[in-house]
This record gives sequence, C-alpha cells and structure tokens, in this order.
Amino acid sequence: MKSLPTVCPSCGGKLDVKRLHCGKCETEVEGLYPLPVLASLSQDDQEFILEFVEASGSLKEMAAILKVSYPTVRNRLDEVIAKLKADKKLRGKEKT
Amino acid sequence: MNLGHERKLTTLLFNPFVFIAGPQALGLGLAAVLTAGLIGSFSHTHFDGVLDVHLGGGAPWWFFVAEGLIDWISLSLTLWIFGKIISTTAFRAIDLWGTQALARWPMLLIGFLTLPPGFRRFPQVLLGAVTQPGAKIAIDPWDAAVFCVAALAMLPLICWVVALMYQSYSVSCNVKGGKAIGTFVAGLILAEIISKIVLYQLLIFL
Repeated sequence: MKSLPTVCPSCGGKLDVKRLHCGKCETEVEGLYPLPVLASLSQDDQEFILEFVEASGSLKEMAAILKVSYPTVRNRLDEVIAKLKADKKLRGKEKT
Repeated sequence: MNLGHERKLTTLLFNPFVFIAGPQALGLGLAAVLTAGLIGSFSHTHFDGVLDVHLGGGAPWWFFVAEGLIDWISLSLTLWIFGKIISTTAFRAIDLWGTQALARWPMLLIGFLTLPPGFRRFPQVLLGAVTQPGAKIAIDPWDAAVFCVAALAMLPLICWVVALMYQSYSVSCNVKGGKAIGTFVAGLILAEIISKIVLYQLLIFL
C-alpha cells in the first residue's frame, strides 16, 4: 500500500490536501485543506499511535507486544508527543 | 512494528535496557550484585566504591555484599536526583534503580577473575618485598601471569560497567546529549564520594 506523503519531496515543506476523490461516484472535491495532525506524522509514528490505542493506552502492554522495555516505549511516546506539540505550535502560528 | 531496536549483539551487550528494565532488571541485577559480593568474600576482593575493585583483608561475607549494595544505592540515588532535575519527561524510579543494578553485572566477571589463588599470592609477594626491603623474594611466574592477565582484563570490564551505567541513565530518564553526559559524570563522582563515606561508617560494625 502506498504511504501518504506528508512533506514536499522538493523542498521538505509541509503538504496540504488540494484534491479529494470519491471512489464510488468519481466526484472530485478541490480546495485547500491542512492534513489532520495525526496524518502529518510519519508512517512509523502513526503505527505506534494505532498500536498504543489498541493496547488501551497501556505502556506495559505495548512493551510486551513490541518486546522492548517499558522506558523504551515511554521514550518513544514522549518523542511522538513532542512532535505533536511542535506541530500544534506551528499550526497555531500559521493561523495567526 | 518495531521501534528500531533490533536484538543485535552490540545492543544486547552495551544497551540491554532497551529490552529489559523495571522489576525484571532489578531482580537480575541484585542477584548479580549479591553473587559478586559473595565471590568477593572468597577472594577477599572488595568492591569498595562505585567503580572500585581492591584486594583487601578478610571480612564477614555480609560486608562484601553490603559493599556492592552501597555502591548501587549511591549511584542510583545521585542519578535519580539528577534525572529528576534535567529530564523533561516523567520516568519510573524502578527503571533507573533496576537497570543500575543490572549495569553492575560485569562485576560478577571481575569477581571470577579474582578467584585463582595466584591472583592473591602475587601482590602479597610484592607487598612483602616492599615491607621487608632486602629480603629474598620468590616470584612465581605463573602467579605473575595470572595477576597481569586478570588486572588487564578488569580495565575493559570497568569501562563496560561505566557504559552500561550511562545507558541505564539515558534510557530510564530519557536524557541525551551533553547535559546527560555532564550530569552522569557529576553523579558518578558524587556517588563515589558518598559510597566511600558510607563504607567507612560500615567499618564500625566489623
């Protein structure tokens, strides 16, 4: 499955959604939509969040599933939180 | 998915804490600290400081075990305080204390290195030469070889322990870079001083 590009391959800037397509009726919607916060994360980060939710937010369970230690999972989660916070801050700046 | 931590030999040797921490590390680590102390009691090897290994006089077995425990507590305590100060994220004390105990496991290997009788005989002969100048000394080349090989092997083992101690601090407290290295070195020096003071107090019970 193709992965959704989140950054521009040319300049590394953040990508926005310009066109959406309905696979059922072929309708196309054009506009300018920012990517949802979670979609703007890397594929790895998104997978991590999905697994985290599936594990009911239990770091212990995540550690058991991924066969790593508790602090390793905790540190990974902190990394994702830091990215989300940075993204939120950036979006806040863009709005103003 | 994986978190980019493959079970490579180098990772298992130098940063096993990405795979093991918490109560499991504490159990294994304490078992290693206690066993190293007991081995030390046979060879009169004292772990009398966070990174110290010295041949010394005889003492009850509990004294050797207590030395290892005091070393572990001293460093865990100082690094826990520094971790609380510099870490921007929450961390569990059990991870730091557990991985710090496990970081001392190569001390077990050091304990084994000191077991051959030749290792103790050689420095005694040398000491005799110093305390009784002019006296004829008979150095057994086998004892000298055993002593030299063991002493040389101890150096990389101590370096390995330091590397493990740092990784334990880095992983458990989620700290990296210059700040982490600086506080680790400060913690190590502080813990060395604390352990020496506490061990000195322990001598009263002998």
